[in-house]
Amino acid sequence: MKTQKNSFVEAVILGTLGLLVLLTLLIPQLMRDRRDTRLLSLSVLLRDTDSSNWNVARQGMEQAADELGAELRFLTLTVQNDTKEQEEILRREVEGGADALIAVPANPEALCAALNRLPDACPMIMLEVSAEDGAAAVAPDNEELGRKLAETLLEDWNSGKVLLLDNSAACPEVRIRLEAAREVLAASNVPAIEINALPDYRVPTRWAMTFEDGATRQAVENKETQGQVFALYGVGSSTSVTSQLEKGNITAVAAWSDYAAGYLAVQQAVQAIENRIQELDPLPFSIVRGEDIYAPENQKLLFPVTS
Amino acid sequence: MTFFRSLAAQWVRRYRKMSIQMVLSLSFTAVAAAGILLMGVSFIWRFSAASEQTAAENSQRILAQANLSLDSYLRRMMRIADTVYYRVIKNTDLAEGSYVEALGLLYEENRDDLVSLAVFDSQGTAVAAVPLAAIKAGADPAGSEWFQAASRNMENLHFSTPHVQNLFDDPVSPYRWVVSLSHHVELTRDGVTEGGVLLVDMSFSGIEQVCQDVTLDKGGYLYLIDGSGELIYHPRQQLIYAGLLEENNRAAAGYRDGSHTEEFQGQSRQVTVKTVGYTGWKLVGVAPAESWTVSSQLFAFGLFLLFFATFLMAFLNFLISARISDPIRRLDKAVKALESGQEVEIEVIGCYELQHLSRSVRSMVSTMRHLMDDIIQQEGQKRRNELEVLQSQINPHFLYNTLDSVVWMTEAGQQAEAIQMVASLARFFRISLSKGRSIIPLSDELEHARHYMNIQQIRFKNQFTTKIEAQAGAEDLYTLKLIVQPLLENAIYHGMAGAEDDGVISVTAYREGDNLFIDVADNGVGMRPETAASLLSGDRPAVQSSGSGTGVRNVHERIRLTFGQGYGLTILSEPDEGTLVRIRLPALTRDEAAHCQQEGDIL
Repeated sequence: MKTQKNSFVEAVILGTLGLLVLLTLLIPQLMRDRRDTRLLSLSVLLRDTDSSNWNVARQGMEQAADELGAELRFLTLTVQNDTKEQEEILRREVEGGADALIAVPANPEALCAALNRLPDACPMIMLEVSAEDGAAAVAPDNEELGRKLAETLLEDWNSGKVLLLDNSAACPEVRIRLEAAREVLAASNVPAIEINALPDYRVPTRWAMTFEDGATRQAVENKETQGQVFALYGVGSSTSVTSQLEKGNITAVAAWSDYAAGYLAVQQAVQAIENRIQELDPLPFSIVRGEDIYAPENQKLLFPVTS
Repeated sequence: MTFFRSLAAQWVRRYRKMSIQMVLSLSFTAVAAAGILLMGVSFIWRFSAASEQTAAENSQRILAQANLSLDSYLRRMMRIADTVYYRVIKNTDLAEGSYVEALGLLYEENRDDLVSLAVFDSQGTAVAAVPLAAIKAGADPAGSEWFQAASRNMENLHFSTPHVQNLFDDPVSPYRWVVSLSHHVELTRDGVTEGGVLLVDMSFSGIEQVCQDVTLDKGGYLYLIDGSGELIYHPRQQLIYAGLLEENNRAAAGYRDGSHTEEFQGQSRQVTVKTVGYTGWKLVGVAPAESWTVSSQLFAFGLFLLFFATFLMAFLNFLISARISDPIRRLDKAVKALESGQEVEIEVIGCYELQHLSRSVRSMVSTMRHLMDDIIQQEGQKRRNELEVLQSQINPHFLYNTLDSVVWMTEAGQQAEAIQMVASLARFFRISLSKGRSIIPLSDELEHARHYMNIQQIRFKNQFTTKIEAQAGAEDLYTLKLIVQPLLENAIYHGMAGAEDDGVISVTAYREGDNLFIDVADNGVGMRPETAASLLSGDRPAVQSSGSGTGVRNVHERIRLTFGQGYGLTILSEPDEGTLVRIRLPALTRDEAAHCQQEGDIL
């Protein structure tokens, strides 16, 4: 009886040790297999006809893609802000096996609806604007941005109407920024006029606000060609906007790091693929006046370190 | 404390229940496992220390190479500045010529590394600049940090941190990141010297190229800071500028040259610092802990080796302990068999000590057997002696009384009765002897009793009558001899003490099942039941006096000594009613009696 018990105990000990030997042999193999993951395919849908305006964001995206094991496909439209074409590209990319989409949407709601209609929908991250029905977004707090920009104008304002350039038809996020700015101005009893585009003649105003990079550039162009004298408060950090800010054609801009936006968009997309998406804080932005453009922090924000 | 005591007690209890093989197996295996674990931990510790040292040396070597490249680059920039100063500025009077052509040539020679070359007078006015000459509206060279640093420290060259070049209107690349090298210079204008500042704007890409190709093992990287910790180059510089990443550059500025271990954002890492000559910049190599600590793969392999070695050791231990303990186990088994009364041969096997032990046990067993035989023999002899003593207590007493009666009758002229008494006595003694046998047929015992009663009736002049009978077939059974006569003697002397002519003493033998009963009854004076019960008690003092019951107790003990505790006498008595003494014996046949006699002889 005692001998049988001994044999049983010895068999249990040897069996346990043998099992541990096998496990320690197998676990590294399993860990190695799990690390061999393929590159993720991410498609970036732009609303522009070329991607030059997105160079800085692209650099951020490429940095993130390199770190997180993804490859990027940048897709532009043949016609600026063509919602239908963007939906078609989205459908093609999803069917083509894209793991996730990063979109600068011409029409956020329509693009989300188009994605939801597809049977094999993949995660989509939106840049600059968020949609009602839940796609994750990498964007500044557009309401806060509009308010801060208006408050900056109010610091300089003494009298006269403020022209609010509403190009929301092309850029959906503009409407949110504009509404917030209008509320701030109204609260201070500052009269404001909304127009869709600056006319080809001189407008009798000393103050103007734009809410998107392209609109800011157009306003500066109009200002130069028509000899306008209004103080311009805009949005954007493209080279031309920065240059005009330095020259004084723009008084102040609301700017954020496109590099950070691009990086975070890819990071969010990869996290969404791996079902571990985290709530993202709104992208931080700064109001930069022309005279502060070379302050160290603003240099870092406005001029990406590129060789 | 109580817990540990309880644990120790529990361990001791378990230990006592364990076999020697299990104790040996578990002890050896535990010691082996502890040894292997200790060796493993020691190996991992030494390996980690060596890896850390190697990683540090590797980082230092790589940083030394990067430092060499960076130093070479910076020296080239310094040579350009020296060339501008000593070959161009010193040799040119601004009243007679311009620096532009010479600067242009130098710029063309080094255009991959340079963004611009410019000379400013002490007010910050551009004296010469290539490739761009137009200063931006609103630019303030004299207010720039590089200008003031050069003016403050006239002897030295000053290197700025990276910044956006904001002096010239550049239609192609308006905002380029540069590192400015500035130097106070002496300008000659119309034979008069005046102060000025030479600016060499180095392309940031030059420094970037020197640093970006340097990689450290396992995700390590290198970055460059100035003396105050301000970033000059970092492979993820833009992420840091965008606030998405943090670097421990301020702390690194305080480190001495060499390798340091730091905790940053919850991660341990090795930081190697190398100061770049002249500039005070610091190259910082960061190696994550993974580069020198034991990797999970290696750790798993180490665990595999540990478990495999323990497995082998356990296997060998079990085999060896089984081999060692097997002779002990067999000896234990043999001793257990001996304990249960079996005859076993004790093997002499195993190592020297065990052989010695086996021989000792074997010798002890042999000695014990002899001693036991001796004890049995002595015990038998003792019992025989006791029986003989008990029987000898009867004979002298009776002989004395009978002979006394014969003398009395002869003197009285009762010759016929004397002859009858002597004849009965002769027969009585013949049966008493019975050729030395202690177990005799019941018929002989009853005849013995008749002869005795014949003698006593003559002595007591027929004060009582005697009736001796046996159940049919019972007379063929066997009984211990001389057990009825003492009871009859008691009945006569005590039961018939006050009898006239109506005394009756009866002896009745009969069989019930496996028992033979002999009832000796009288109708004499009787006694109280407690007195009757005390007659057979061993505690009663053995006083040799009339009425003491010694004869009865002798009979009782003889029966119990011969046949066991289940047999013997039972006395039933009531005052004035009489007494019944019942003898209970086993119903022995001839063969059984012979067997019993044989055993008794052995005993």
